[in-house]
Amino acid sequence: MERETAIQFKNVSKIYKLKRKDKEVRKDQKTQYFYALKDISFEVKKGQVLGILGTNGSGKSTMALVLSGIASPDEGEILVNGEQALVAINTGLNKELTGLENIELKGALLGLSKKKVQEITDGVIEFAEIGDFLYQPVKKYSSGMKSRLGFSINLCLDPDILIIDEALSVGDKGFAQKCLGRMNELKDEGKTIIFISHSLPQVREFCDTAMWLEGGKMKEYGEIEDVCDHYADYIEYCHTLTKAEKKAEREEKFKERIIRNRKVGLIDRLFG
Amino acid sequence: MFTSAKYVLSENYQNFHRIMSISKYELLADMRESKLGVFWNFANPAIHVLTYWFVFGYVFNRKDVGGIPYLVWMLGGMVVWFFVSPCITDGCNSVYRKVNVITKMKFPVSILPMTVVLEKLFDHFCLFVIMVFIFAAYGYYPDVHWLGLIYYLLCTIIFAVSLSLTTSVLNMLARDTRKLILACMRLLLYLTPILWNIEKIGEGMVSKIIMCNPIYYLVQGYRDCFFYHRGFAAYRWSMLWFWGITLALFFFGSYMMYKFKTRFIDMI
Repeated sequence: MERETAIQFKNVSKIYKLKRKDKEVRKDQKTQYFYALKDISFEVKKGQVLGILGTNGSGKSTMALVLSGIASPDEGEILVNGEQALVAINTGLNKELTGLENIELKGALLGLSKKKVQEITDGVIEFAEIGDFLYQPVKKYSSGMKSRLGFSINLCLDPDILIIDEALSVGDKGFAQKCLGRMNELKDEGKTIIFISHSLPQVREFCDTAMWLEGGKMKEYGEIEDVCDHYADYIEYCHTLTKAEKKAEREEKFKERIIRNRKVGLIDRLFG
Repeated sequence: MFTSAKYVLSENYQNFHRIMSISKYELLADMRESKLGVFWNFANPAIHVLTYWFVFGYVFNRKDVGGIPYLVWMLGGMVVWFFVSPCITDGCNSVYRKVNVITKMKFPVSILPMTVVLEKLFDHFCLFVIMVFIFAAYGYYPDVHWLGLIYYLLCTIIFAVSLSLTTSVLNMLARDTRKLILACMRLLLYLTPILWNIEKIGEGMVSKIIMCNPIYYLVQGYRDCFFYHRGFAAYRWSMLWFWGITLALFFFGSYMMYKFKTRFIDMI
């Protein structure tokens, strides 16, 4: 049975602007453009659970933003079938308000109706395990507690496509386990989940396919075991490098991502 | 042009609950910060008004304006200024203030100016209550003409939102916008006939230019409802001018919002 497409990327690139403030370079070289993501094409089917792997600075977070529709790509095209939601943990929590009020506020920020917020409130309180702290202002919370509250509200959402960026690094093991449990429930409901992490074991355990990003480019996309093995090998290989070699490789990669001679006028940026 | 206006309008309409909740909790959080809470929403404008009254009414010993005591006359215009001025300065910052939200979740950015205006509306009502008491002390009681205030309040809200749509996007493009606006607002307080009567400067060119200020229409409108009772038609040219500017701002602001809705994240 051929499953429907949830997200399709066609040659997507995301470009960031880098500004040099030092005086050494000539004026026309001060602004450089930089590929955060370069020419990425892939397809995610409905109900697929995709893990995105990559080292720091490989474009994972940019990927999350582009996937969730918060940032739009500079080149290429994205087709999305359904509603995406990015799990944002601490966003939208106000430290002066109590836990209960924050549930309402964040619920509203995420666009839930009043009725829906009331429905999920009990679930969130139960899941976040904040107990008596419910009526305390969030500024009194421990950081783990705060993240649990934020994360729980997000998990009670009901989007078609869920994008999780490094979310399980919050909270203790027990809570991470609980989150994985909840995510497995979502998986069984047939949601499309995109799980971004650099924790290999979690990705291996949870996802069925994986993508490996390196230097803004897609290095591999396929079955979970293959990609994870190759990624693990790469990490091993990186460990064996000396400091100088590492630096050389990093600079090499950086150079590849720079775009030369890209001129965008002010008028084009405003009205183009 | 019209697609963007429609987009902004429908986004504001569809997210009404979101707007209300954000304004409500923003206000609540602001009150929680201080021990006295809501007291400051009353005390702040009251102290402000007292200062102006002391300087202009008492020290400079202003005479009654057209038979209306200076304090009452001033307050009639000041009440709308204290609404529109924070709306404009904070509205300009409305998108930037929520940067951590709009970069982390899918969020209808165009509702942000509205949330700020609604938040300030609460302060407006607080000052309004104070004003009613002061008016009563001077023998001015609410009457049927005050119903016109509903129209002028709507005007103020629509004007503030339209202007904030524009300035908030410009502020994302360059943070200088906010500084410019802050400076302009300080100037505008004295350039708008709030503390002084427009009739004082005669009918010349200067008065014409000052009447071009859309806030002048709002101030004059509020005062008309309180004291003069000339009706809407007496200010038809100001009215046309005001709505012209407001609509132009609204369309331009919507266009910018629509254009940059997925670009804000690149501007931080």
